[in-house]
Amino acid sequence: MKLWVTAASIVLTGAVRAEVLLSEDEIQKTLSFGPWPPIVQSDPSNRVSRDSRAITLGAALFNDPVLSVDGAFSCASCHDPEQAFATSEAQALGRVLLDRNTPSLRNLAGLRWYGWGGKSDNLWAASLHPIIEEQELAHSKESLKTAISESSYVSDYETIFGSIQVQEPELVLVNTAKTISAYLETLGTERTQFDDFRDALERRDLAAAANYPAAAQRGLQLFLGRGNCVLCHNGPRFSNNEFHDAGVPYFLNETEVDEGRFGGLNFLLSSAYTLDGDWSDDPDKKGAWAVRSVRRSHSDFGTFRTPSLRGVAETAPYMHDGSLIDLDAVIRHYSKIDAERLHADGEAILSALNLSEREIADLVAFLATLSKVP
Amino acid sequence: MGSETQNAPAVHVAAAAIPLAQPFSILVTICGETAVSEVRVDAIMPAHQHGLNYAPKVTAISDRLFRVDDMLFHMPGLWELQVNVDFNGRSVSYTSEIALK
Repeated sequence: MKLWVTAASIVLTGAVRAEVLLSEDEIQKTLSFGPWPPIVQSDPSNRVSRDSRAITLGAALFNDPVLSVDGAFSCASCHDPEQAFATSEAQALGRVLLDRNTPSLRNLAGLRWYGWGGKSDNLWAASLHPIIEEQELAHSKESLKTAISESSYVSDYETIFGSIQVQEPELVLVNTAKTISAYLETLGTERTQFDDFRDALERRDLAAAANYPAAAQRGLQLFLGRGNCVLCHNGPRFSNNEFHDAGVPYFLNETEVDEGRFGGLNFLLSSAYTLDGDWSDDPDKKGAWAVRSVRRSHSDFGTFRTPSLRGVAETAPYMHDGSLIDLDAVIRHYSKIDAERLHADGEAILSALNLSEREIADLVAFLATLSKVP
Repeated sequence: MGSETQNAPAVHVAAAAIPLAQPFSILVTICGETAVSEVRVDAIMPAHQHGLNYAPKVTAISDRLFRVDDMLFHMPGLWELQVNVDFNGRSVSYTSEIALK
């Protein structure tokens, strides 16, 4: 009996140690993905950021078709709260079938760029553009002012911003967008199994860390190592918030391309609604350095913003055009990526990984732990 | 920083911990007596064949001390910091490697 107990202890001890598979260097890299949730500051460019009245109004407007010119859509029609603020369609369906996949709206507070092409440098501008975009909510500034004035929200609006009748339509548009932004700032993904693992590693609690599945650990090792995923998917949001060519075709048809970041920068640099513009409420223009100093390059063509991987298992399909149906397809895309499709004058960071079936499954297992329910 | 130019005045760079994918600033100090007319700063990742996505902003604090803002390294790995200093019409290039985790 004594021999049995001794043997069991050895096996148990060995098992606990063996189940933390990461090297010390990998552990240090893993710590950089947290802590979660991050501390988010109020947006100085939006005077109603963190204002509870604005958040409430923004949430109501987000879900109400009053923000579309004909009452046909609301923001929530494409950014469905029941589907992680995205939809399961490959490409968004506005008034026409749009070119891109609907991005989730969680964890958006404090980013440097918004949208697949980064055409906005702040969240209220990113909220504003779909309201007046012809293929989306299609309001004019004037029709929006009329719609808000005649809606049940007018008293809430005026409580926050004063009399709407004396305001220029463009001011009503910006104010409305800033309430939407105040609401969106509150949307975040919750802590996950990965965060428990990461925090246990930080505490040096290897017994707790060992609860993290071995397959997910192996996937994380690939993510950090041979997969090179961490080159772009880094930091607590698993995104460097910059723009890359992921080898996904960007031809829309025989004659048109999705310009990606190239088009996003053209839009941004002609926009009145940037952190460097007069509609920002921040006298210090904090954050405007990016729009002032961003470089333009021919290789921006067909590059797209690195999406966050927080909650990624909940937001299929994937890539800027929604062309990959699930995470398994995404990993297989990178495993067999066609280098001929990458920019000849672009960055040289992707090559076919030629992953084994187990490695593909391990990476999917890791990514699944970045969502609340793997 | 290193330079391939013979007898180039020494250049030193000071930076706090460099954050990944977040803006940071550095200080460039140029030694010697030769007048400095301009300082330009850039960086590349040689292995990845790309540079900075943002143009660094150089501000003279004194004749020989320069503050560089709007630097952003958007990927982990080995970066090569490049500083070009114009001394009375003669341009001298300096480089320094920075490994970012």
